[in-house]
Amino acid sequence: MLRMAKKDLMEKIFDKGREYGLKDMEIYLGKGSSFRVRIHKGEIDNYSVSSTEGLSLRGEYNGQMGYAHTSKLDESSVEMLARNAKENAEVLTNEDKEVIFEGSPEYKLKDTYSEKLDRVTEKEKIEFAKEMEAKAYAFDKRIESVPYCYYGDSSGETLIKNTKGLELFSKNNMAYCIVNVVASDGNDKKSGTAYRCSGDFYTFNAEEIAREACENAIPLLGGKSVKSGSYPVLMDREAVIDLFSACSDIFNAELVQKGLSLLKGKLGEAIASEKISFIDDPFIDMAAGYRAFDDEGVACRYKKIVDKGVLTTYFHNLKTALTDGTETTGNAYRASYSSSISIAPTNFYIENGDTDVAEMLNRMGTGIMITEIEGLHAGLNTVSGDFSLSARGFYIKNGKKERPVEQITVSGNYLTLLKDVAAVGNDFKFGMPDGGGYKGAPSLLIEKLSVAGE
Amino acid sequence: MLDKNFIGSLLDEALSTGGDFAEIYVEDTESNALTMLGGTVYKASAGRDYGVGVRIFDGYNAIYAYTCGSDKEEIAKIVKKAAQALKKDGRIQRAELKEDIIDNIHIIQIPPHKIEKSKKVQLMTAAHKAAKSVDSLISQVSINYSDSKKHILVANSDGRFVEDDRTYVRMHISAVASKGNEMQTGVDGPGAHCGFEFFESLDVEEYARKAARTAVTMIHANYCPGGRMPVVLANGFGGVIFHEACGHGLEATSVAKGNSVFAGKVGQKVANEKVTAIDDGTIPNAWGSTNIDDEGTPTQKRILIENGILKGNMIDLLNARRMNAKSTGSGRRQNFRYAPTSRMSNTYIAPGSDTFDEIIAGTEYGLYAAKMGGGSVNPSTGEFNFSVAEGYMIRNGKIAEPVRGATLIGKGNEVIQRIDMVGSDLAFGQGVCGSLSGNVPTNVGQPVIRVSEMIVGGRDGAQNG
Repeated sequence: MLRMAKKDLMEKIFDKGREYGLKDMEIYLGKGSSFRVRIHKGEIDNYSVSSTEGLSLRGEYNGQMGYAHTSKLDESSVEMLARNAKENAEVLTNEDKEVIFEGSPEYKLKDTYSEKLDRVTEKEKIEFAKEMEAKAYAFDKRIESVPYCYYGDSSGETLIKNTKGLELFSKNNMAYCIVNVVASDGNDKKSGTAYRCSGDFYTFNAEEIAREACENAIPLLGGKSVKSGSYPVLMDREAVIDLFSACSDIFNAELVQKGLSLLKGKLGEAIASEKISFIDDPFIDMAAGYRAFDDEGVACRYKKIVDKGVLTTYFHNLKTALTDGTETTGNAYRASYSSSISIAPTNFYIENGDTDVAEMLNRMGTGIMITEIEGLHAGLNTVSGDFSLSARGFYIKNGKKERPVEQITVSGNYLTLLKDVAAVGNDFKFGMPDGGGYKGAPSLLIEKLSVAGE
Repeated sequence: MLDKNFIGSLLDEALSTGGDFAEIYVEDTESNALTMLGGTVYKASAGRDYGVGVRIFDGYNAIYAYTCGSDKEEIAKIVKKAAQALKKDGRIQRAELKEDIIDNIHIIQIPPHKIEKSKKVQLMTAAHKAAKSVDSLISQVSINYSDSKKHILVANSDGRFVEDDRTYVRMHISAVASKGNEMQTGVDGPGAHCGFEFFESLDVEEYARKAARTAVTMIHANYCPGGRMPVVLANGFGGVIFHEACGHGLEATSVAKGNSVFAGKVGQKVANEKVTAIDDGTIPNAWGSTNIDDEGTPTQKRILIENGILKGNMIDLLNARRMNAKSTGSGRRQNFRYAPTSRMSNTYIAPGSDTFDEIIAGTEYGLYAAKMGGGSVNPSTGEFNFSVAEGYMIRNGKIAEPVRGATLIGKGNEVIQRIDMVGSDLAFGQGVCGSLSGNVPTNVGQPVIRVSEMIVGGRDGAQNG
């Protein structure tokens, strides 16, 4: 927990803020430490450790909320924080009101920190990463290189303390590993990746992870493009997770209110196939997957965002809820202590379906199975929902993989895709956590997508 | 900043377990950011980021540790922790720290932090109004203003002790056009390693209008047809094609371990003879320039490809060891939270002798990418993709109707062999490049070029030639 010195510092910041005329104030303190090793040809090619902390002050001045942050947590920053918060508030002309929260009636507090993870020795971690690389090379002689092979773990603490008497603390940790391989058949090269994330180091199986990465690469070797046209598409769960994550902002009430989301005015309407439901669940029992309160200190809750195709709510924080005359959904988010309050999902996922992948392939008959999409940060316009993405996968004939496919793009619109879902797989998985939490999805069979190739 | 004696003691501690090189990096950055949305000042933040990073080499391997803040005890602790990762005998004698005063070529006339926030807001308001005035279909305009002042100190066991200041200013404009249920965007983001005087010579309103015009043009456009076709890429930000398709594959980060399609090919013909490509970190006040890199090595102007022949790579200190080469002053990092590695600075295709009119007239049918979006690449396989923000069909040697939603994909080593025409109108565009060592400001650049054939991702059912 926090040392007394930090408590004193926070009181000094609040005092200085009052001197500057700030009314309600809040300090958000983030603290973290991390460990990571990268293995290259059996050696620790890169070893890194860190310990960081930083805090942000936000304070109300003339009805506006000003922010200032620092990673230098000492007396020399007190004046700068108060002054900057005030100066920033002065320049704002915002009509939406941001408020400091006094607290929810109750919180589902739970200690999810894994003490067990702290007891894993460095030697065990390094040996594991080395084994992962070795297993990848040993898997198949076509594995030409392992461009990256990492093991890492991190822990973090968050403290929210405000002048309305709220004080909340949380702590979490997780371990992760990732391996990326390049397979070559002499002419063609393909890369494949596999990853895991857990609070329990001992669930990591080096051989299994290495095998998965290799099996993601090797079958794609010798891929060719396909004739441009409209195809039914089976989107593998990993590709669905990527697209779904990249599009999660369309549910952000702030973007809806500012006319930057295609879901504006669609509350209560069917925006997807009735086979589809989207869940936001802050209480998942996975490493760093449990959140009792959001970054404004509001108690988190489970909700369906899309229920059998119907949009039931946007993601709200206190400000957007006030503007819309509704209640916050507990999705206030700061990317780090230095960011201002925005909105993000907690653990957000497409609910699992009931169809086997093999059955979906059969139903598709002839079409394309997409295992990987690339270029989401450029080829997807989250405002319009339009996407045109580089893709890889397999050409499917009579429900069987006929040959690998590369150098194609798939294009469409996210909402059209959601409406065109013909079947939902029963192979749900979660991806790596990012931002507020995990994103997950099963594979989806899409009636048709536009594919460009030859 | 920390004093020389203390840093010397940190280097001693870092070398105490057998490392053969140690480096201390200290950074103090002050930043300001303002967001205007729909004409109101929506967000304002300011902050200070201070931290220290220590790096230790053991042959080809590296240890990196960092911590926030200036508490000497905490810094000494993290250096010790880093050193403990090694347990070797023997200890090298470090060279005495010799202060190096750099010759600053990026003159800052008006430090942005001395400018009142209200003046920055005025500039944003002008840009907002200019974008709105373009067309009644412009439904939203968001403008981000940012400035920062970064002070760094690099000291290492070779005796280097050098400090540098970098001041950045940027304005990012995004305009949205709406019609019925559809929305299209247009963006532009001029920036420089420069003081507030950057905005005195910059027509911010024209940038805003350009972004708005792109959005309006695209809302009226049909989807691009897909397939293989010639592609003409406009000057300036069009240079992102070289950045993605080849630049990343020429960074020592991927070359040194052979994880690049361009590894081991120096001296070989890798591109069409019309292609000469350069990475130049010394252009005064350019967005991707610095006096020294983040390892303290002076930046250079470096030819990567000359008339199609691969000449060199971008190299940092660690990969220089593996490649048995010298650093090219390309070691960069977002901040102290990242160990540096080789990165691009201002990377561009040099001007050729074709003209824009000749290139268009010489193209029977194809795509003209007037504005590019971003992209990405897998350097191991060379596969890249990027998006076209504003595109037009070329028909019968003339620019025809606008098209939306185009993506360009290919393999880097193939596409540079297919650059068959190079114009003379070199220009730059500003980007933020994300890679192993975080996000760093980079310029991309080129004159107008033609690629004889590329796969254009578009939509089925689009009107075809």
